[in-house]
Amino acid sequence: MADGHQHPIEHRFNPYAENGGTVLAIAGADFAVIAGDTRQTEGYSIQTRYAPKVFKLTDRAVLAVNGFQADCSEFVKRVMQRIEWYRHAHSKQMPLKAIARMIQTMLYGKRFFPYYTYNILGGIEEDGTGAVYSFDPVGSYEREACRAAGAASSLIQPFLDNQIYFKNQTPAPGAAPFVPGNLPIDVVLPIVIDSFTSATERHIEVGDGLEMFVVVAKGRDVSQLASLNAEEIPATNPGEERVFIVRRELKKD
Amino acid sequence: MSVDVFRKGGFDFSNARRNAFLEGKGMPLPKATSTGTTIVGCIYADGIVLGADTRATEGPIVADKNCEKIHYITDNIRCCGAGTAADTEYTTAMISSNMELHALSTGRQPRVATAMTMLKQYLFRYQGHVGAALVLGGVDPTGPQLFTIHPHGSVDKLPYVTMGSGSLAAMAVFETTWRAGMTREEAIQLVAAAISAGIFNDLGSGSNVDVCVITKDKTDMLRNYEMPNQRVEKERKYGFRRGTTAWKSESIRSLIASETVVPVAQLVTDEMDIS
Amino acid sequence: MFLTRSEYDRGVNTFSPEGRLFQVEYAIEAIKLGSTTVGIRTPTGVVLGVEKRVQSPLLESSSIEKIMEIDTHLGCAMSGLTADARTMIDHARVTSQNHAFTFDEKIKVESVTQAVCDLALRFGESMENEDAMMSRPFGVALLIAGIDELGPQLYHTDPSGTFVKYEAKAIGSGSEAAQAELQDKYHKSMEIKDAQILTLRVLKQVMEEKLDQHNVQLAQVTVERGFEILSDAQLKEAIDAM
Repeated sequence: MADGHQHPIEHRFNPYAENGGTVLAIAGADFAVIAGDTRQTEGYSIQTRYAPKVFKLTDRAVLAVNGFQADCSEFVKRVMQRIEWYRHAHSKQMPLKAIARMIQTMLYGKRFFPYYTYNILGGIEEDGTGAVYSFDPVGSYEREACRAAGAASSLIQPFLDNQIYFKNQTPAPGAAPFVPGNLPIDVVLPIVIDSFTSATERHIEVGDGLEMFVVVAKGRDVSQLASLNAEEIPATNPGEERVFIVRRELKKD
Repeated sequence: MSVDVFRKGGFDFSNARRNAFLEGKGMPLPKATSTGTTIVGCIYADGIVLGADTRATEGPIVADKNCEKIHYITDNIRCCGAGTAADTEYTTAMISSNMELHALSTGRQPRVATAMTMLKQYLFRYQGHVGAALVLGGVDPTGPQLFTIHPHGSVDKLPYVTMGSGSLAAMAVFETTWRAGMTREEAIQLVAAAISAGIFNDLGSGSNVDVCVITKDKTDMLRNYEMPNQRVEKERKYGFRRGTTAWKSESIRSLIASETVVPVAQLVTDEMDIS
Repeated sequence: MFLTRSEYDRGVNTFSPEGRLFQVEYAIEAIKLGSTTVGIRTPTGVVLGVEKRVQSPLLESSSIEKIMEIDTHLGCAMSGLTADARTMIDHARVTSQNHAFTFDEKIKVESVTQAVCDLALRFGESMENEDAMMSRPFGVALLIAGIDELGPQLYHTDPSGTFVKYEAKAIGSGSEAAQAELQDKYHKSMEIKDAQILTLRVLKQVMEEKLDQHNVQLAQVTVERGFEILSDAQLKEAIDAM
């Protein structure tokens, strides 16, 4: 023992693990992008190179979840179940803001044995606008234009603050002021890709694969997605909001 | 253990004791750069092949994407280092100096075993507090020699060795494909494959493969022998318009200081007048 | 009474051989003793009206409460054993608040009606590990009015836990005549004012006393203002307009 004295050492089971990886979401005027890498780690080991962290909940809501994988999968299952119950009880899809509030109550419900999960919810609101909601593990939440969470959040969030919120950028003299949340999809997706390739360079727990979900408002033009090899996830209510997925490889070292 | 243990003898471990105490109180120690690392060595017919990855980490952050972990000891001896970067760099550099002094005072090229002995004695003296895990290899008049030296000073002498956080991944490759009496090319390929296993399966290791081949005639440092992890091109250019950064006030100062030259001769003359 | 009935009309959870639950049927009968209550849906809102039976000149008519608020967008009128309605409305209020708390949105009219009807069936003998339950069916019917994303709606619930959506509905002692009158006079594109007047006319027709602002109460749920019980002045204005 370091101090040379014998005293009992308390050994306690730790119910949590940290499984690395990173997620982010960015809201546009009439779309939202929710993305996550697919690497799952423990310590210096890769448990799997493909463990999805982003899930489609409804035609207009996608949830990215990061932290302790077991809690993540349990939590997503519970959210999906509650959404289904809601659909049966109220004969409609749960709106995005209702999902956000419900996630708060579910997280806070385990205030004293929390789900070790960082959640980011993205999608389309009832008014057709793109939205991102971010949560802490015990349910504090907020609607934002963008958010990064997980292992490389401290690397990515400052980048998003600069590129999405235009922090530390002054507009050219006479030019209109920057307004966050209005960037077009062909700017947002490259920013997402660059966030992940850069995080892969400098964070050992990020890499292997990238999954980007794009939720698009009803009637919006989706021609920009075609060139990105976007795959549409079949909708439960055709003609309303649509969800696409774009996949990319990330470095595997 | 009594406190006196630390007062006797030539070494003062009071800082180590203090740091352990502070850590127990919840104050984390400063994070040292770790070469979280895969390093390997392998004997083949005519010499030694050493290998290393090139990732340096600080916790989960990549500190250096292309660092050098194969350190120079003498012309015919090299040493791969894993563990605390400062310890591996300092220790190998110091032993390299002492080997050179040894060569000069004896008039002979010192052997690999000499370097091994100096390293293990140094590491043992520091009881593992010098966090260097080394793979030492070279060719001397006794032939190809390969050792691993652990931070506490223990030594292994084996035909193929691995060290660092990626040692298990690399050893798995050695255990499946190594055989005695390989050719130079076979040995290089095996070492590169072992390092690659570390790069792709151990998060502490990454980026490129460095290889060093030592024979009795020459040493070839094959820096970045393989580069399987080149960064892809970015999707966007991130240039900023001139004037993007705001400022609150502006003050321009001239950096040329005006000076007056006083002739020294004048002063000297005045001094001389005293007599 | 028939012999068969006397054997099967005791237990609240015993079917008769003909497949009837007599206690529930009797509960429905109890509503027919209640004061007449009317509800009318229009494209912009729902009107609720009740007759207040002022049995004594010494009775404070303002203390008769037969229309209650469930939430800002939901109201409810009752007929029958009005004391039973308190339990149901309490449940509706809690359900509505819970929904707003959990989902950050107003509960749908149908959902709150469903919640009330779920409660209506929780009578009978309690099962193991269940707290004491209700001993008998509710003896009250409700007209639940509200507005949600599907527009203004009017629901009728009865002690059997059945609920039905109506354009216009009358319950209580004068319900038969009142319903016939509603069927005759109701049209889909009514203004809210027209609905108030029709409600009053229907009540007037079935009431024994002369209708005035003391023996009726009107309430409405509108898109602009949500649920409100009409003030004395507003009520008088509507009676005068009739």
